Amino acid sequence: MAPQPQDHHPKAQDQPSGLIELAPPPDLRDLFIGMLQVSLSSFGGGLSAWSQRIVVEQRRWMTNEGFLTGLTVARLFPGPNQINMAVYIGTSFRGLPGALAALAGMLLVPFTGLMLLGVVYFHVHELPAVDRVLAGVVAAAAGMALSMGFKILDQYWRDPMALFLAAGTFVAMEFFHVHLIPLVLVAGPLAMAWYWPRHPTPNP
Amino acid sequence: MSPVALPLPMAVCAPVSLSDLGHLLQVLWTFLSLSLFSLGGGNTLLTEYRHIAVDQYCWLTSNQFADIYALAEAFPGPSSMIVGLLGLGAGWREGVGWSLLSGYGAEIAILLPSTLLMVVACLSWNRLKDSPWRLAFERGLGPITLGILFAVGLKILTTSNHGVPGYLVSIVVCVLMLRTRISPLYFMAVAGVLGGLGIINR
Repeated sequence: MAPQPQDHHPKAQDQPSGLIELAPPPDLRDLFIGMLQVSLSSFGGGLSAWSQRIVVEQRRWMTNEGFLTGLTVARLFPGPNQINMAVYIGTSFRGLPGALAALAGMLLVPFTGLMLLGVVYFHVHELPAVDRVLAGVVAAAAGMALSMGFKILDQYWRDPMALFLAAGTFVAMEFFHVHLIPLVLVAGPLAMAWYWPRHPTPNP
Repeated sequence: MSPVALPLPMAVCAPVSLSDLGHLLQVLWTFLSLSLFSLGGGNTLLTEYRHIAVDQYCWLTSNQFADIYALAEAFPGPSSMIVGLLGLGAGWREGVGWSLLSGYGAEIAILLPSTLLMVVACLSWNRLKDSPWRLAFERGLGPITLGILFAVGLKILTTSNHGVPGYLVSIVVCVLMLRTRISPLYFMAVAGVLGGLGIINR
């Protein structure tokens, strides 16, 4: 993993994270091409790992710390995490135009491919053979959807209030058919009030 | 496996008649207004997408929605690209040209507001970082996202399956997703074969 150029800096071993030389900040074209490379490399999965490998290790645009901060911001704010991450990378160097260049680079190829697949799908989905295969594929995909909640359940397991809020949200959607927007607008502020950081006493 | 194709009496969904341009604007507005509610990476919006596409505007049938979800999951790239396929389906009656326009438009619409917010967030992160708003938002919205994801998973499960074998496959895949690191593409391939052989039906 140790890249060659580092051998010229004898002090690099003392504080590895501080002394790795960053590349000059990317321009719009670099951002577009870098994100295009991320999206092409990740065919078959692992988008997040690939963007870290390319942005931090290969192109050295930002430190690992900077990248991890980006992941925090990307997860916190609305929008798909990987896409928010591209926006973070683009914005860090070139503001809004950088964000758009990074986004375009990340989405152009996969999205166009998916649109072509979609056109094919709408042409052929009524063929019995296609429909039969899809009936199976869809069952596997539903298993993936079902696993999403379980994947993050662990981090809330020891917090009864979190489980109560999650259960309430689930019941409201599943049994009372409350839509997402009113649900988030009502439950969001209530949950935020409960979790508002209190200085003198730690959370119950 | 289920002898009756549609066990529940379903109201026939009647699409609103709009001009081509009106239809496109409807698609754009729909996704623009949902963008800022895509918590937890955007998967929280799936039940809302299903409601809009299947029940409200009749862009797709329930089976088509399940198909499109699977295509978006299987295809490389962020799974939130499903919005492009919804747009494509919305414009399909008006021909491939409008359909593609609607697909690209829908994806831009769902990404634009959240992208602009994200840009602002990046530029002001140093001030936001330790703000009580940020902490409360992060800790408060997490459990709500958790509840939504369970409801979404259940909705996709019942939308996608029409018989015992399908449900079994879904549950096995769910367990394998949690316990192993096998790429889900293999699960889809195997399940596709089971479908082709007529073991999973709808």
